[in-house]
Amino acid sequence: MEEPDPDTISGAFHARPRVRGAPTSNLSVAEAAAVRRVGLSPVGFVMGSAVMQLTSAFAGGGYGGGIGLAGGMGLGGVGFGGWLSSARSSGLYAESYPCVHGFGFGVSADHYGFNAENTALAGGLFEGYRLALARLSDEARELDAHGAIGIELSFEHMVGTSSTATFLATGTAVAHRGSAPLQAPFLTNASGQNFERLIGLGYVAAGMAMGLGVVYVQPNCLARGDLTVVGPNAQIPSAVGAARSRARQWLARSGHAMGEGVVHTEWTDSHFGRFGESWNQLALAVGTAVRRWSTELEPFAPRAVVSLRP
Amino acid sequence: MRAPADSGAAAATPSRRPDIGAALETLRSPYRPDGTGARDTFLSDLTVGELILLEEVGYAPVEIVSGAGSASWYPQFTTAGTEARMWGEAIATAIAAARSGIYSEVSQRAAHGVVAMRLELERERANLLTCTMLGTAVRATGETGQKPKHREGPFTTSLSARDFHLLTRAGYQAAGIVIGASVVGFNARSAAQSLGLARENMELEAQTNALYSAREQAMAMMEREALSLKADGVVAVELSERPVNTMLTHAVELVAIGTAVRRGPAGHKPLDPTLQLSLDDPTPEVFSSG
Repeated sequence: MEEPDPDTISGAFHARPRVRGAPTSNLSVAEAAAVRRVGLSPVGFVMGSAVMQLTSAFAGGGYGGGIGLAGGMGLGGVGFGGWLSSARSSGLYAESYPCVHGFGFGVSADHYGFNAENTALAGGLFEGYRLALARLSDEARELDAHGAIGIELSFEHMVGTSSTATFLATGTAVAHRGSAPLQAPFLTNASGQNFERLIGLGYVAAGMAMGLGVVYVQPNCLARGDLTVVGPNAQIPSAVGAARSRARQWLARSGHAMGEGVVHTEWTDSHFGRFGESWNQLALAVGTAVRRWSTELEPFAPRAVVSLRP
Repeated sequence: MRAPADSGAAAATPSRRPDIGAALETLRSPYRPDGTGARDTFLSDLTVGELILLEEVGYAPVEIVSGAGSASWYPQFTTAGTEARMWGEAIATAIAAARSGIYSEVSQRAAHGVVAMRLELERERANLLTCTMLGTAVRATGETGQKPKHREGPFTTSLSARDFHLLTRAGYQAAGIVIGASVVGFNARSAAQSLGLARENMELEAQTNALYSAREQAMAMMEREALSLKADGVVAVELSERPVNTMLTHAVELVAIGTAVRRGPAGHKPLDPTLQLSLDDPTPEVFSSG
C-alpha cells in the first residue's frame, strides 16, 4: 500500500486552494448543470466566518460615545430617559408610548414604554456579516474565481451566551475559462438555477446587498400581553415598521450603488435577545444586486404543468 | 437540428445561449446610474424565477413594502355557544391594521399592487397577537398587467408570485386580501373528563359545535369582505384553528385569510396544463416514509 504524502494530508485541512487536486463545491447536481449551461465551472467551496462580541443592551457604557446613545441604562428605568432622548437627538428612530395608567416608577410615565433604535447592536451584526462575506470573497479571489453563487449566511449564538455570535458565509466559487479575473468576484445568494435564469433574463449578479435595522422595544402596558389593556396597540407595529424601514433603506443604499435592482432578498424578522419584557426587534435583509448586461432576452416561455409526483 | 415543436422541454431550449463572457465584462466598470432616477432601480424579495414570472404577465417590481398590526384582548370566561366578540375582533383588528399598512405603502409608491406576500401571525403572549406582512410592490408595465381602474386603489394579495402569475394568465384579477376571524366558547368538560378519569369514548359535542360555529362566522365575515370588494370568489384561503382550554376559558379560535379575486373582462382562460414527471432529486421523505 502506498504511503499517503504527509504534505497532501496537512494541506487538505487548510483553506490553501493551490494544494487541492479537485474543485469542491456545495452545489447540487441540478445547480451544477445549470451553471455549466451558462459557461461557468465550479472551482471550489468557499466560506468566510467571524466570531464577534456583540454589545449587550444592558451594558450601558456600550451605548455611549461614538454612537450617540449616551446615558446608559440604569436600574428600574431611571436611565431610560437619557437613552430615549439621545436616540432622538441623534436623528434615530425613537418613540415613547406612555403608560395609560400613569405608572412611571416615580420618574416619568413617558419613559415606561418606548421604542429606540439600537444602532450599536445593528452595527455589530452588520460588521459580523460583512467580515464573513469579505473573507468568503478573499477565498474566491485566491481561486481565481469570477464569482461565488449560492451564498448562505448563518448566525448562531455561541453556547451559553447571547452576546457572542458566530457569523458564517458559505458558497461555491465559479469561474469562466477565457475571461480575465475581475477586480473582485461577484457574490450572490441565488442558487445555480436562479443564476442561470438571471443571466438569461439579461442581468448579471453584481454583489450582495444587505440591510438591517434594530429597534429596542420596552413595551408599555398596551403591548405586553400580561395585565394588558384590551385593543389595538401601536407600539409593536411601529417597532416592526421602523426596523424594517431601516433595513430596507440600507438594502436600497447598498444595492443601488452596485446595480439596477435587488432580487432574492431573504428577509428575517426576529426578536434578538429578550430581556424580561423587552426585546430587540431585528429586521435583516440580504439580497443580490443585479446589473443589466443585455436587453436582448433569451426566449422564455413557461408552461403550466401538473406534477405527477404526489 | 431543431427539435419538433411539441417535444416538451426540448422545445423550450433556445438556440442562443447566454454569453457569460459579455456579462462578466459588464462588471469590469463601476456601476453608474444612468441618471433616469428611481424608475430603473427596484428592491424585491423575488427570486429570479418569480421576477421572470411577473414580467411575463406584465408587472415590474418597485420596492419591498411592509405592514404590521397588533392587538390584545382579555381571555374571557366563556360558555357554550358564546362568541367571544372582543377576542375575535382583536384578532381581526391586528390583521386589518397590517393590511391597511401595506396598502398605504403600496399607494405611496404609486404602485398597482403587492405580490409575493409573506404573512406571519405571531403571539407575543397568549392574548397578544401581532400580524406582519411583507411583499413586493409591483407596477403594471404592459398591456396584460392589471392597472387599478379610476377611483379604485391598488390591490393586495396574499398570493405568491407563482400563484399570481397563474391567476393572471387564467384571466382573473386580484381584488384584495380578505379576513375572517371568530372565537366561540363551549362548556367546560365534566370534572371526571378533565381529570382524565372518564371511561367512555364519546364526542365532546359542545366543542365540535363550537368549531363549526366559529368556522361559520369566520367564513361569513370573509364573504362579507369579498362582497364589499365586488369579488367573484376567494382563493388561497389559509385557515388556522386553535383551541384554548384553560381554567375559565374554553373556546376555539378560527382565523381565515385569503385573496378575493374577480373574473377579468375576457372571462376564464384555460391554462391547459401539461402532465409532468419531474426528474429532480427526490425529496428526502420519499425514502424516509417507506
